[in-house]
Amino acid sequence: MQPFDYVRATSVADAVRAFGAAGPDTRLLAGGTTLYDLMKLGVETPAHVIDVNGLRELETIDTSQPDELVFGALARMSDVAADPVIAGEYPALAESLWRAASQQLRNMASVGGNLLQRTRCAYFRGGEPFACNKRAPGSGCAAQEGIDRGHALFGGSEACIAVYPGDWAVALAAFEAQVDVEGPHGPRSLAIEALHVEPGRTPDVETTLAPGEIIVRIRVPKTPLGRASTYHKIRDRESYAFALVSVAAALRMEGDMVAEARLALGGVATRPWRVRAAEAVLRGQPFTPALARRAGEAALSGARPGRMNAFKVELGIRAVADALSIARQRG
Amino acid sequence: MNMMPFADLARVDAHDKVRGAVAFAADDARPNLAYGAFAVATIGKGRLASLDVAAAEAADGVRLVLTHANIGAVASAGFIMGGGYGFQSHQPLISPEIAYRGEPIALVVADSLEAATHAAALVRATYETAPFAVELDAPGVEVVDQAETPLAHFIPPVAAGDADAAYARAPVQIDARFASAPQHQNPIELIACVAEWQAGRLVIHEGTQNAEAVRHGLAAALGLDAGLIDVVSPFVGGGFGQKNSLQGHTVLAAEAARRLARPVKIVVPRAQLYHLASFRPANRHHVRLGADRSGRMLAAIHEAQAQTSRHDLFPGEYATTSARLYGIADFRGKDELLRTDAQTPGYMRAPFEHIACFAFESCVDELAYALGIDPVALRLANDTTVDAVTGRPLSSRHVGQCLERGAAMFGWERRSMAPGSMRAEDGGLIGWGVAIGTYAGLRAPAIAKLKLTDDGRVEIRVGVHEMGQGVRTALAAVLARKLGIAPEHIVAIIGDTRAAPQHLTAGSWGTATAIPVVEAAADALLARLAELAPGGVSNREPAQILRAAGLPELAVEVQGKAPGQPDAIYDRLKAGLPSIGGPVYPEFVTYSYIAHFVEVRVEATTRRVRVPRVVSVADCGRVVSPRTAASQVRGGVVWGIGAALREASEVDPRYGGFLNADLAEYALPVNADIGAIEVAFVDEPDTRFNSAGVKGLGEVSMAGVAAAIANAIHHATGKRLRELPIRIEDVL
Ligand SMILES: Cc1cc2nc3c(=O)[nH]c(=O)nc-3n(C[C@H](O)[C@H](O)[C@H](O)COP(=O)(O)OP(=O)(O)OC[C@H]3O[C@@H](n4cnc5c(N)ncnc54)[C@H](O)[C@@H]3O)c2cc1C
Ligand code: SF4
Repeated sequence: MQPFDYVRATSVADAVRAFGAAGPDTRLLAGGTTLYDLMKLGVETPAHVIDVNGLRELETIDTSQPDELVFGALARMSDVAADPVIAGEYPALAESLWRAASQQLRNMASVGGNLLQRTRCAYFRGGEPFACNKRAPGSGCAAQEGIDRGHALFGGSEACIAVYPGDWAVALAAFEAQVDVEGPHGPRSLAIEALHVEPGRTPDVETTLAPGEIIVRIRVPKTPLGRASTYHKIRDRESYAFALVSVAAALRMEGDMVAEARLALGGVATRPWRVRAAEAVLRGQPFTPALARRAGEAALSGARPGRMNAFKVELGIRAVADALSIARQRG
Repeated sequence: MNMMPFADLARVDAHDKVRGAVAFAADDARPNLAYGAFAVATIGKGRLASLDVAAAEAADGVRLVLTHANIGAVASAGFIMGGGYGFQSHQPLISPEIAYRGEPIALVVADSLEAATHAAALVRATYETAPFAVELDAPGVEVVDQAETPLAHFIPPVAAGDADAAYARAPVQIDARFASAPQHQNPIELIACVAEWQAGRLVIHEGTQNAEAVRHGLAAALGLDAGLIDVVSPFVGGGFGQKNSLQGHTVLAAEAARRLARPVKIVVPRAQLYHLASFRPANRHHVRLGADRSGRMLAAIHEAQAQTSRHDLFPGEYATTSARLYGIADFRGKDELLRTDAQTPGYMRAPFEHIACFAFESCVDELAYALGIDPVALRLANDTTVDAVTGRPLSSRHVGQCLERGAAMFGWERRSMAPGSMRAEDGGLIGWGVAIGTYAGLRAPAIAKLKLTDDGRVEIRVGVHEMGQGVRTALAAVLARKLGIAPEHIVAIIGDTRAAPQHLTAGSWGTATAIPVVEAAADALLARLAELAPGGVSNREPAQILRAAGLPELAVEVQGKAPGQPDAIYDRLKAGLPSIGGPVYPEFVTYSYIAHFVEVRVEATTRRVRVPRVVSVADCGRVVSPRTAASQVRGGVVWGIGAALREASEVDPRYGGFLNADLAEYALPVNADIGAIEVAFVDEPDTRFNSAGVKGLGEVSMAGVAAAIANAIHHATGKRLRELPIRIEDVL
């Protein structure tokens, strides 16, 4: 880990100013569970670290607004997951948080920092000697002829097939969340789906945030889809593991009929992967296990498996079908 | 001998452990410590062409950078299975040769861990690369027949009867191939040591299972007199065979401490531990099992291939194990060792037995299905009292009782035989599987020094290491019972070369090594006390007798060894060399046994495999510490679940080394993966084996678990899965 200087921001405006003054070699510190990890691995080598912990204005969990849930960027994963309104009315959101990482990590980790976690691709994390375009642009992609069991079926490019590993952003994608940011050019707001980008030819670029921009809050429109929802996560062990395949599913039923559906996939794509075509398969149809399976097939169609991850296509189809029936039972 | 079972004594160090009061070497924070960190090779094999440490040396806080260029006269301490002391013969930093990716090329020592870690990252190397092979089938892998190596002297190939002919004639034949990925131990206490020179003596604090080998190995590596070296290892934060001998980092810490005249601490970080210490080698097996139509097993052939390194021959003892599961008269085994470019693999818990039992007990299940015989009944029908390999009697074997009790506890009679015939309410498949496991009954020499003082304190010094298995509790249990005193008054000084010679504690021989000798020492002490108390010793505490006799203390020393070992074995013990006796003794053969019953649930849709309950019944002779013994079995079962369903060290043949080198990516089981584990013991003393009647337990606990799981998965799904770990894609 290379030496760096460290300051504590006194306000969001102060953090924006400090970031602007310090330049692009700067990283914000929230829970540190991603940042410190990547610094120890030599992936992140910031010269300046701005600690935003303690900024009360970023710690909000507000479920009392008429049409949206508001989460300050520094709200901790464990607190949001345990919020009674979230746990009761938006189980998919709560599950996407408490099925992630470990309790210790969730106590530290913020819901804003969470969005910016980086891939678990071992070649990326390992550094030298591995070829990795994300870590060392132009060096190649070791995963494509290598151990790609955890790599993407969707959204990959010739340059990179690394999976976006997070769970929370996948659930947020299903609920069409908005992300509010502050930056050197003032505040702006973007859809969660506009935050992460596919690797294309520049896998080192992962988001649309401009240098110096700070996530201040996440807003989720209140919706009747919340109740009948689940975040269904299939992994190699029962806890403390990233997803092999995960599915955020939400339904609004009218009798036996699916009035509206939301589906997003995790663990299989280079960014949170909303599957609108699969949602369309469900809409206006009577809910049956066969329909759920068809939605799964639609969700996984067009998958581009590699050497070791083809099983995730069938696994994904079944996971979607299971997620839909769990959601159905809740609504 | 007192024939009563032992009482359930709580772990004597439980409170200290829970409060974090136990001193592990990795936590040592003595004043003036300097910290070491390694830079490691990034090529699969070759040689350093250049090594630039200027930036590292110039970095803040750096005191020393050791490389092959300035290491001086440090030598290899040799391989523990080749007459030496190290887990491998390849000592990093003593030459520019790179044997495998991940091997250290420089040790940076600095005032803080952060400074050392940072500076280590500034070391720059260029290499001349050489071709390398890390997978069993890769070109360039050399196949060595173990029978043609010196290893055959103490691991003779199994050759009972004429197995090939008997198999060819057998009316029912099972022929199957099995494999397992390499795996790593991942103890919670990382590989760590503190080396300090005190008035010309070198003192090593290290969590090791083999303090004496560390001591003598350091003497060999550094050209020192072993009499000037002390190794202290009162507690090991998980060993599992990974800490069973000298490791390269300790040599380098000692050398750095000498040069700096300052204590030096090295804690090998998790990612580097995958390359700086041993691991379970990749291995595969071809098993053929012949039987008659009644289910009598007639012949078996077990041919195994396992990974070793280019520089050492880590042995294979697979067939040696499977030949002991039943009384099969015609049995042939073959072990081949495949040289790859990796560090030398080693003895990870139940190193051969786990996988030998997986392979063989899977075949036995296949036989049960081929014949339509209940798997428990088939096993009971093939029980024996004689060791078929040598023809000698078994000193004890109660595996039949393990099976019968386990079946009753599990409710086995409610099992329906057909695969896929048992369903859970949620539509999931239920599978019930059984398998047995066995492990050699081994014993090493030990010297016990027992001292009673007039304040009532009893001090025991003996050669054995506490690595969580509970030997301190076992020592307290036997001494308290023998001497009629409270366990709190007993102090055990163990894992310490200053106290008594410290033979390697591994292979489940710790209890059988230490306990009989300690009991004998207690008997000797009681005899001395009786001489001091002409009026008799009854109803008097030992310290009372001592005080009445006007003596401040009384000390005895007793030594003991395995049956048939020559007296010269004590010289080997004192030289830090493996001095293990068994399992074949002059008059008998000794093994421990276990039966595991496993329930799996296979989810109907996404097919996640869960293990909600396991029943394990062990025959480990007399159980001297029921509490920690049951923990050992639960731990072994957890290991079996990990090995069967979770763990694999990933290898990318283009790069060498291991890829998933951290706890997030190497899937050890977590609490949520573990259901109920019910443990019982036969608790029949084996007094032919030793006076205390104890056999080994730690290793046998894991043997057979993977087979029971695979057999249960077959029962649930109809699928025979023969490669470990079994993952979701295999059952989908
Ligand atoms: C062992 C392990 C297992 C894990 N398992 C899972 C899992 O199963 N599922 C899952 O989803 N996640 C998992 N995680 C990831 C974990 O959820 C994230 O590390 C965590 O949410 C990051 O939040 P943080 O507050 O600690 O971020 P930090 O580490 O503080 O920051 C992360 C990044 O975001 C930047 N940043 C932080 N806050 C802001 C802000 N307000 N505005 C702009 N940039 C910001 C930082 O500069 C940094 O680059 C795991 C992590 C670990 C270490
Ligand atoms: S998949 Fe992406 S992150 Fe992984 S090695 Fe390839 S380029 Fe690097």
